[in-house]
Amino acid sequence: MNISLQFLFHQAFLGGVAAAGFAVLFNCRPQMLPACFGAGVLALATRTIAQELGGSLAVASFAAALVLAIADKIWQEFPSPRGSVLAVVGVIPMVPGSLAAKVFISLFAFLLSGQSQSIEAAIATWDNLVMLVFTLAAIGTGLALPSLIPTKPAEER
Amino acid sequence: MPQTDDPPLPDIARLCLSAGRQMLETGANGRTVHEGIADIARALGCDGAEVLCQHQAILVTLRRGPESCIEMTKTGEHGVNLRQTQAIRQIIRDLLAKKLDCPAAQSAADCVPTCTGAYPPWLVCLATGLACAAFGELLGADWAAFLPILAASAGGQWLRMILMRRGHNVFVVAGIISFLSAFVAGLGARLCGSTQDPIATIAAVLLLVPGVAVLNSQVDVLEGKPNLAAARSLRVLYLLTFMALGLVLAQALILPHL
Repeated sequence: MNISLQFLFHQAFLGGVAAAGFAVLFNCRPQMLPACFGAGVLALATRTIAQELGGSLAVASFAAALVLAIADKIWQEFPSPRGSVLAVVGVIPMVPGSLAAKVFISLFAFLLSGQSQSIEAAIATWDNLVMLVFTLAAIGTGLALPSLIPTKPAEER
Repeated sequence: MPQTDDPPLPDIARLCLSAGRQMLETGANGRTVHEGIADIARALGCDGAEVLCQHQAILVTLRRGPESCIEMTKTGEHGVNLRQTQAIRQIIRDLLAKKLDCPAAQSAADCVPTCTGAYPPWLVCLATGLACAAFGELLGADWAAFLPILAASAGGQWLRMILMRRGHNVFVVAGIISFLSAFVAGLGARLCGSTQDPIATIAAVLLLVPGVAVLNSQVDVLEGKPNLAAARSLRVLYLLTFMALGLVLAQALILPHL
C-alpha cells in the first residue's frame, strides 16, 4: 500500500467536517456532534484506504459503510435511544451526490448533442449511471447488513 | 381479557400512529417505525400489532383478546430531524419501562414537534455551508473555491428554510436553490481565482442531495418493504432531476465553455 498520510488525513478530516455539518442540518443533539465528526472521519479514512488498496469506488464505499455500521451496532448494545444516527450521519459524506449530478448533466448533454456526438455522450451517461447505482447499492447494503444479522436469539429480541 | 387499567384500544392506536407518523416524517426507516409501533402496543398490553407503513400513510391494527381496532393516519412531507426521532424513541423506551402511561405518552408525543430543541438558523446555514465546502475539497476543488462554496450553499440553505416554511413545492424549491447556489459558487470561485469553478458549482448544490432518503430506500428494500422504498426512490429521482436542471442552467450561464 502506497498511501500518503497527508492525503489520508485530508480526506478523513474533510469527511468529518462534512458529517458534522450535516449532523447540525439534521438536528443531532449537540453532545453527539463530536461522535458524528468521528463517524465521518472513520468512513472517509476507511474508504480512502480501500481505494488505495485497489478497490473501486463502490467496493471502497461498501467497506466503509460496513465498518461504520458494525462500529455503530457494537456501540448500540448499550441502552440508548439514539438508534443508528451515527451510521447514517457518517455515511452521508460518501453518498455520491456529485456523481448523481454528473449523471444528469451528461444525460442533458446526451439529449442536446447532435447525432455525431451522441454515442460519446451516451457512453459517458452510462458510465456515470452504473457507477452511481453500484455505489449507492454498496453503501445501502453495507449499512443494512449488520442489522440483518441477528445477534440475540429470537425470544430475547 | 383486558385488564381494568388497560387503556382503550383507540387511544393506543392514536399513540401508535402519532409516534409512527413523527418517526417517518423525521427520517426514520420502515423498520424503525414498525418496531416502534409494535413496542408501544406491547407496552400497553396488546396481544399483537400489524403495521402497514407507506410513504404517505400508516395503517395499524391492534388486537387485545376479543377486541381489535384498525386506524390510519396520513403523513406529511418527509424530512430529517434526528433529535425528534430520538425523542419519540425515548418515549417508547419509557413506555416499555413503565415510566409513562398511555395519556402521558400521548402528551409527550404531541409535544415533541414544539418542545424539541433546534439549532439557530444561522448555525444550520453555516454548518451546511461548511459541509458543502468540505465536499468541494473532497471532490478536488482548490482552496480558492472554499469560501465561495461555503457562502453559496449557506445562502441556499437559508433560502430553502424560508421557502419551505412558506409551503412551496419541494421540487420547485430544489430547482431554484440549485440554480442560485451553483451560480453564486461558480461566479464567486472564478472571481477568487479558482480554476475549479465547475467543481464549485456542483459542490454548492450538494445540500440538496436527499442522502437520508437514499439510504432509507436502500434499507427499506433490503428489509422487505419495497413499496415504501419505491416511493422514496421516485421522490429522490425527481429531486435530483430538479437539482440537476438548476445546476445545468447555472453552468450554462457562467461556464459556457463546458
